[in-house]
Amino acid sequence: MAGLEIISDQGYRIDGRRSSELRKVCARMGVFTQADGSAYIEQGNTKALATVYGPHEMRKGRGKIQHDRAVVNCQFSMATFSTGERKSRPKGDRRSQEMSMHLRQTFEAVIVTELFPRSQIDIYVQILQADGGNYCACVNAATLAVIDAGIPMKDYVCACTAGFIQDSPLLDISYVEESAGAPFLTVAMMPKSEQIVLLEMNSRLHADNMEKVLDLATQGCKDVFAVLDRHVRDHVSESHALMTAS
Amino acid sequence: MKEVPMSTCEREFILSAIRDRKRIDGRQTYDYRRLKVAFGMERGCCIVELGDTKVLAQVSGKIEQPKKNRPTEGSIIINLELSPMASPAFEPGRPTESGIEMNRILERNIRDSRAVDTESLCIVAGEKVWCIRADIHVLNDEGNIMDAASIAAITALSHFRRPDVSVMGEEVTVHSPEDRDPVPLSVHHMPVCVTFAFFDQGEFLLVDPTRSEERVMNGRMVVGMNMHREICTLMMSGGMLLVKEQVLRCSQIATVKVAEIIELIQKALDKDAQARQAGEKCGFAESVPSNKITTNKKEPTSVDTTAAAQHASQVIQEAGPVDKPVSNMLVQAPGTVQIGEGLVNTWQVDDEDMESEEDSTKKTATNGREAVAVSKPTERKRPVKTVSHAEDSGSEEEEKVVLYQGDVEMKSTEEPDATTLKQPTSSNSDKPAKKKGKKKKAAQK
Amino acid sequence: MADSVGKVVIPGDVLSEFRASEKTSKVALGPGLRQDGEEVLVTKSGILRHKEPNLYWIDCHQRRYIPAKGEDVIGIVTVKSGDVYRVDIGATQPATLSYLAFEGATKRNRPNVKVGDLVFAKLLVANKDMEPELVCIDSGGHSSGYGVIPANGGFMFHTSLNLVRKMLSPNCDILKFLGKNVPFETAVGVNGRIWVKAKTVKDTIVVANAIASSEHMTNAQIRTMIRQLLDKLSGF
Repeated sequence: MAGLEIISDQGYRIDGRRSSELRKVCARMGVFTQADGSAYIEQGNTKALATVYGPHEMRKGRGKIQHDRAVVNCQFSMATFSTGERKSRPKGDRRSQEMSMHLRQTFEAVIVTELFPRSQIDIYVQILQADGGNYCACVNAATLAVIDAGIPMKDYVCACTAGFIQDSPLLDISYVEESAGAPFLTVAMMPKSEQIVLLEMNSRLHADNMEKVLDLATQGCKDVFAVLDRHVRDHVSESHALMTAS
Repeated sequence: MKEVPMSTCEREFILSAIRDRKRIDGRQTYDYRRLKVAFGMERGCCIVELGDTKVLAQVSGKIEQPKKNRPTEGSIIINLELSPMASPAFEPGRPTESGIEMNRILERNIRDSRAVDTESLCIVAGEKVWCIRADIHVLNDEGNIMDAASIAAITALSHFRRPDVSVMGEEVTVHSPEDRDPVPLSVHHMPVCVTFAFFDQGEFLLVDPTRSEERVMNGRMVVGMNMHREICTLMMSGGMLLVKEQVLRCSQIATVKVAEIIELIQKALDKDAQARQAGEKCGFAESVPSNKITTNKKEPTSVDTTAAAQHASQVIQEAGPVDKPVSNMLVQAPGTVQIGEGLVNTWQVDDEDMESEEDSTKKTATNGREAVAVSKPTERKRPVKTVSHAEDSGSEEEEKVVLYQGDVEMKSTEEPDATTLKQPTSSNSDKPAKKKGKKKKAAQK
Repeated sequence: MADSVGKVVIPGDVLSEFRASEKTSKVALGPGLRQDGEEVLVTKSGILRHKEPNLYWIDCHQRRYIPAKGEDVIGIVTVKSGDVYRVDIGATQPATLSYLAFEGATKRNRPNVKVGDLVFAKLLVANKDMEPELVCIDSGGHSSGYGVIPANGGFMFHTSLNLVRKMLSPNCDILKFLGKNVPFETAVGVNGRIWVKAKTVKDTIVVANAIASSEHMTNAQIRTMIRQLLDKLSGF
């Protein structure tokens, strides 16, 4: 990938974006009938599907019942056709286990779990197409699905990546940019209070540049929030209109 | 096996101590426990002790076929083993979630940050490359395995020597150590993790949490960093919320800690190299003190009356450049180095020398670390207060001398005044005559 | 081999010549000793102890608690079930503690014990075939020091069983000397758990650390250590 130029002289990236521009976000809520809540999101070419079940009774055989709060159970999987090379193991490898755990930690922090003691909330996410920012797409989709399910949350939780390539911070890293080996930061935060729920970073980034990248990622999360919020409002007013009409 | 449950009493007390800016083992907010690095007889083998946490790392190498998509690169495998030997909390069998998380952090910290040059591990492109494997075994878990494991991993990788290989046409020869000197791996930089524990929804923060602190904490943040202040991995999770300033603050603290730790590792490596060259004895057996009770022994710890946890608001206030570390490290038995003795620390960075308790560095609400660091030379007083043990003989005595040489000089001048204005609140001068302890049990038996 | 009293014995050692009680001509063997035909075998390594007239046992360094009837322990309530609490006392199995085994408790008036609370209790039943059972009252129905330990301000820590026995032995200075200088409350469970509470958090930490580090010290050393600690406490 050495010869590849991530940012052109004019300041455009490979897919034609500017450095602090998000990819196009498309979202739909309430896409399935069985689940209590579901959502689908496209962030550029990254596509993710999330469903939420719960809060429901704890599954048997699990000694994890919490007497004071609900348990959040997350499962992350990648469709076998989601990557360039066919994936032989859609879930259960170390990476996806780690991803599941991070999703769980994120949503445990945001969902008001104290309201549902002795119960369980399941969040299943699947990546249909992977083009960088998988975790972000999952978090954003799952947020919509949790909202769709009507589970109380402290705030939206939005996630975004930011990288640092050729001495400038870049927002919303795509797969090509990801595989260039440059450092990138994944942030999940509650956009209104700017509180960070999860933070993860790969590769080497000088501590002095940290703030810039973190700022950009924060901005990205807020942008994502603006888009998601509009979708939720549209969705809610639409269904409300339908209800009152009948 | 089931872990001993934690009572509300312990939990509450640890929390209230932290809110009171104290830690149960008498350390300061940013103090590490005693850190010790020892090497085994073989190359690429080391034990890291962080307080009572013990971690063993062993690096090995073998020749295999490279991956198709990277024909000219060798591979690095890092495997963290949480054996049930280390703690009743670890189950045999499949790795737990936290085990996987820690393993991934280590991988990201060392492999993904390209700490070890993988291209130099290539022998014949597309056919034969070295596969270097670092196995890290946790031997005793007293908290903060993460940092100990990362130190052990990078130290072992730097200590490792692989057999030299020569290629003559089609033929690949692996030379025995007698034939040709084994070659070290090319380690570009040494990333080390620093773990921060957060309490009360991120309100209080501590470095190097012990097991009991880990059980109480809300969440943690791991910062992997190298000498050049490059963040190699960053991981924050676990159901708590932080603001940006806290993250940046942690990365600054990590800078200082990492510099200290890496210097220690470097010293350990040098010392070991010297010992090996001189043909002295080396290995674990040499580094473990003999004729000592090791398990049940508990070092006496002093309790510091100074603030031991930092307030979130303070963190934000104080965010600023961090002073350069001043190092004062002790190198002892061949192939062994350690920082501090007992829980006495030699981290001079924050100058929160927790060893003497009146030594409260006046780190009250507002004056930050910067201020403390500046006034450091005048604040140090009592060098060591370790109560001497029966078995505290020999080597340890000597160490102490080395360890506090610098401090003893400083000591004399400023003893009186600083002490008096120290802790007006906490001084225990009003000892009441009545002893209200209804000693529930003492007399029985 | 009566002269090996006070000396270190090792598993497999054969002991003989015990001093039997004059009345019954019997010898009582405590933990670590086992009768094998005519001989007495040692099964633990430690120091052979003897108490007049005829009691022998082995004092050994141990960390795991084996319940014995009548001993005082500190337990952690783990489960409330039916009419008993399950309490972890560090033994092979959790002990049970009845709702009624508290002072003034009746069927209607249940004690307020929550999961996670500490209780200071006496072992009523302790044998290898049954679950250990705890009580928080004496035979007269009074609490006499037993009961739930309040969670505010005190600290409980784990030590080796040996340290606890040492603390409780009449010729040990830790509690006496420490108590003279720092007022504190304490509850000592022979299962290796010690609860202390002093006036401030700092004092409590000091006391806890002083106790924990005194295991391998002589009385003189303990005094020195405590004095040094107190110097620090009072600001010198």
